[in-house]
Amino acid sequence: MRAFFDMGGYAAFVWPAYAVTLTVIVLNIVWARRSLARSRAEARRRLQTQGQRP
Amino acid sequence: MNWTWFHRLASPPYVYGLAARLTPWFAWPAALCIIAGLWGGLVLAPPDYQQGDGFRILYVHAPSAWMSLMVYMSMATAAAVGLIWRIKVAHAVAASCAPIGASFTFAALVTGALWGEPMWGTYWEWDPRLTSELVLLFLYLGYMGLRAGIEDTQRADRASAVLAIVGVVNVPIIHYSVTWWNSLHQAPSVMRLAKPAMPLAMLLPLLLMLLGFTLFFVALLLVRLRGEVLARERAASWIREVVSA
Repeated sequence: MRAFFDMGGYAAFVWPAYAVTLTVIVLNIVWARRSLARSRAEARRRLQTQGQRP
Repeated sequence: MNWTWFHRLASPPYVYGLAARLTPWFAWPAALCIIAGLWGGLVLAPPDYQQGDGFRILYVHAPSAWMSLMVYMSMATAAAVGLIWRIKVAHAVAASCAPIGASFTFAALVTGALWGEPMWGTYWEWDPRLTSELVLLFLYLGYMGLRAGIEDTQRADRASAVLAIVGVVNVPIIHYSVTWWNSLHQAPSVMRLAKPAMPLAMLLPLLLMLLGFTLFFVALLLVRLRGEVLARERAASWIREVVSA
């Protein structure tokens, strides 16, 4: 197990590389969902202001 | 041949619904491929005879670099289709690609630097491959900045499409930089005409990661596309149905 985390002495390079990539993956999921939610809220607001007009 | 399926792809309500239905069919296979690829790359693949376990950075670096180029080509193609045939949905696809591509270009540069330090003795060098990949990041950021700077969506679509199309010249430069010039970066070992230069136990996790990242891109694109399509539609009756649900 320790050998696995040690990565043959390259731990200081291998693990940060994996951490950065996984962070980018997770952030992409968060950003994509947030962007869709924002557009939906925006569209809902537009519909409401239109509905108030005579 | 019946082309109605193609014309329907230009219809915003159809695309919105289709994107919502298709997302899980890409997201879950992507997750499976990436988990299997991580296991294969970190645990099952044997250490490299020269680079030991350091070579395992390959399994996150190569897929990120592949994404940076593949997403750019998707973005530029969609932008060209939008510009030539004036299809709003195509512009929405292009706009959705940019943040995804930029983030993976960043990942490719950082993982590359972390691989460069132990193997070449430097995090960064103004080398043809590294420099052209950095230019790609600036192209993505320029595209996003240009869009953010133009209030009117239609004008933003057209102006940013021109930038995306012009930037395509950088893509072959990145790809062939290692063969055209003397580069620190190694030559391709998988995406080449000859047989891949690695054993199956090393190659298979890499192929799984490449497939997983590609499927992940499609899933992200489908989610973002719905938002971009909504933003381009004013007062259409179908919007009431999809946002009230």
